[in-house]
Amino acid sequence: MHRCVVISNDRGMIQGLAYGILTAGLLFGGWLGIQAYRRRPTTEAQMVGAIILEVALLVQAVIALVALAGDRELDEPVTFIAYSLGILLPLPLGFYLARIERTRWGSLSLCFTAVVVAVMTLRLIQLWQAGRG
Amino acid sequence: MAEHNAVDPAATPGTVPGPTDPELIGPTSAVSNESSDPETAEPDDDGPPTGPRRVLIALYAVFALAATARGVVQILTKFDDAPLAYLLSLFSGIVYIAATVGLVTNRRWSRPLAWAAVGTEMVGVITIGLASIFDSAAFPHDTVWSRFGAGYGYVPIILPVLGLMWLWQTRGHAVRQSER
Repeated sequence: MHRCVVISNDRGMIQGLAYGILTAGLLFGGWLGIQAYRRRPTTEAQMVGAIILEVALLVQAVIALVALAGDRELDEPVTFIAYSLGILLPLPLGFYLARIERTRWGSLSLCFTAVVVAVMTLRLIQLWQAGRG
Repeated sequence: MAEHNAVDPAATPGTVPGPTDPELIGPTSAVSNESSDPETAEPDDDGPPTGPRRVLIALYAVFALAATARGVVQILTKFDDAPLAYLLSLFSGIVYIAATVGLVTNRRWSRPLAWAAVGTEMVGVITIGLASIFDSAAFPHDTVWSRFGAGYGYVPIILPVLGLMWLWQTRGHAVRQSER
């Protein structure tokens, strides 16, 4: 009984974080899209935003993989692990491109990678929900 | 007195000394004016316009990761279900990797590689897209290119068009580069 409560709390936290990241990724992508539309390079605040989002993704990956190593059973565990780790890669790429390309195109690169993070998060949520435990 | 004022602003450019003769301010401000280095106007080593190319790099790198990872996972976990589709996933991933390498590098073989990879991608997405619609039994919706990439927001059909447009628009630069 106690165990069930712990798991459901765990699950709620994971999904809450995932939906938060999904929303943040879309908003962040929109912000950068506007920046690219205005023909401007990324701002300092946007670079910091990318780092914060990446840290949130790292936290999410650790929580999800720990839960997976525990009681959670998924239909496609390999795909889930691949997504959990793969989702960490786009933002550093976008960050790097935005750093070296100080034009609107750098903003567009980071915009695209932020949207990719949102889409991958949606897929992670789907894979997580198709499981038990 | 006049000598002292003339030396001081030159030592600390940008700071305007107190009460000074207007005659002295003119020449000193001209000296302290930092003209931009003419060498910075030189183009970078990697010639073609970098901006759109870097967006393409972001797009292609993400799809290289997505398609390759998908193919590898499919082949490792359920290869017998649909060998053709899963090998195709892996193949598309390799094509995206080749295109990314062609865009990132700036060697003699870079542009031919990019042309070949993006061209293969264009042919592949149209062929597999048509085949998956007309013969959906042979192509379960399991590759990046199925139904023209509908599972990936149709980006797989847009991407080769953007890639070919960029390669075509920057072809003149490549000619000048090879003439050097």
